[in-house]
Amino acid sequence: MDELDLLKKDWKKNDTQYPKISEQEIYAMLHQKSSSIVKWIFVISVLEILLWSAISYFTADENYFKTLENYHIDTLMKIFTFVNYGVIAVFIFLFYKNFKSINTTDSVKSLMKSILKTRKTVQYYIWYNLSMIGLTFIVIMIATFKYDNRINEIAVKASGSDSNTLFWIVLFGFTILFFAIIFGLFWLFYRLIYGYLLRRLHKNYEELKKIDL
Amino acid sequence: MNSSLEQTFVSQLQEHQNIIHKICRLYTSDEDAHKDLFQEITIQLWKAFPQFRGEAKFTTWAYRVALNTAITLYRKKTKSINTIEFDSKIHKFSHDEYNYEEEEQIKLLYKAVHQLNDIEKALVFMYLEDKDYTEIAETLGISEVNARVKMNRIKGKLKRIVNP
Repeated sequence: MDELDLLKKDWKKNDTQYPKISEQEIYAMLHQKSSSIVKWIFVISVLEILLWSAISYFTADENYFKTLENYHIDTLMKIFTFVNYGVIAVFIFLFYKNFKSINTTDSVKSLMKSILKTRKTVQYYIWYNLSMIGLTFIVIMIATFKYDNRINEIAVKASGSDSNTLFWIVLFGFTILFFAIIFGLFWLFYRLIYGYLLRRLHKNYEELKKIDL
Repeated sequence: MNSSLEQTFVSQLQEHQNIIHKICRLYTSDEDAHKDLFQEITIQLWKAFPQFRGEAKFTTWAYRVALNTAITLYRKKTKSINTIEFDSKIHKFSHDEYNYEEEEQIKLLYKAVHQLNDIEKALVFMYLEDKDYTEIAETLGISEVNARVKMNRIKGKLKRIVNP
C-alpha cells in the first residue's frame, strides 16, 4: 500500500474525531467580519480611487485657473480635466466589473486570476494618475518658462550673466530627481502593502502555472 | 438575507461540517488558526450560498469554496507553530485496534503533508476525499494529465519525507 492510501484509511476513520460546532456557534460566525484579502483589496482600492479623484478635484481652485490663463494653457488643462473625469469613470466601471467577477465557486486558478485582474485595474489607475501629474507638471513648467518673466529674471540673477544654461540644467536635474523620489516612494509603498497582502496568492498562482507548463 | 435561508444554511453546514474541519486540519497547525479558518470559510460559504442552486451536492459545492478560502482568501494571522501537538490531539483517539508501527507512520505522514505547499495540500485533500482526476483538475483549474503527474510527484515527495 502506498503512503497516501495508508493515510486515506486513517482519514476516513477520523470522521468522528473533529470538534463539533453547534448551530448557535455557526449563527454567531455568520455575523462576524470577514478578514479575506478580497475585502482588504476592495477597501484599499476604493480609498485609492477616492484619494486620487479628490486630489485632482481639490487642487483645481480659482488661483490655479487664473495662473493657467496667464500661462495660456487653460484650454489645454480643461481638456486634461475633461479626459480625466472620463478616465475615472471608465476605471471605476472596470474595477466594479472585475470585482464582481471574483467568485469563490470558480476554480482556484480562475479565482486567483480575477483577484489579480481587479488589483491590476487599480494599479493602472495609479500609474495613469502619476503620469498625468508628471505630464501636467511638464506642461506647467514649459509654460512658466515661456510666459513668466519672474523665473527668467531669477535665472539671469543666478548665473550672473545672460548665458544661463547651467541654471536650467540644475533646475531640470532637480525636477527629474524630485519625480524619481516621488515615483520611488509610491513604488515602495505599493510593494509593501500589496506585497504583504498578495505574496501568498502570487506564490500559489505561480505554482499552479508551473504544474500546467 | 432572510432567516429561512439562514436556517437552511446553518443546518446544512452543521451536518456537513467535517469537510471544513478536514480542510482546516491540512491548512492550519494549531487550534486557534483552525477555528479562525473555519470561521472565514463559514463566512465565505454564507456569502456564496444564495447562488447555490442545489444542482451539486452541498458538500461538493462547500469543499470548493472552502479550498478557495484556505488557499487564496484567508490571511494567516500568525505564523504556524505547534504542528504536532494539535495533530496528535485529533489523532490520539483515532485507532481502536492499536498498531504502533502504523500509528507512527500515519503521524509522520500527517507531518509530511503539513510540509507540502498550499496547492499540493489541495491535491492531497481531494485524493483523500476520493475525488477523481477530472474533478481535481477542474477544481484547481489545471489539466487532468498534469493533475495526475503532480499527484505522482507528491506521492514520491511524501515517500521521501517519510522514509529518508
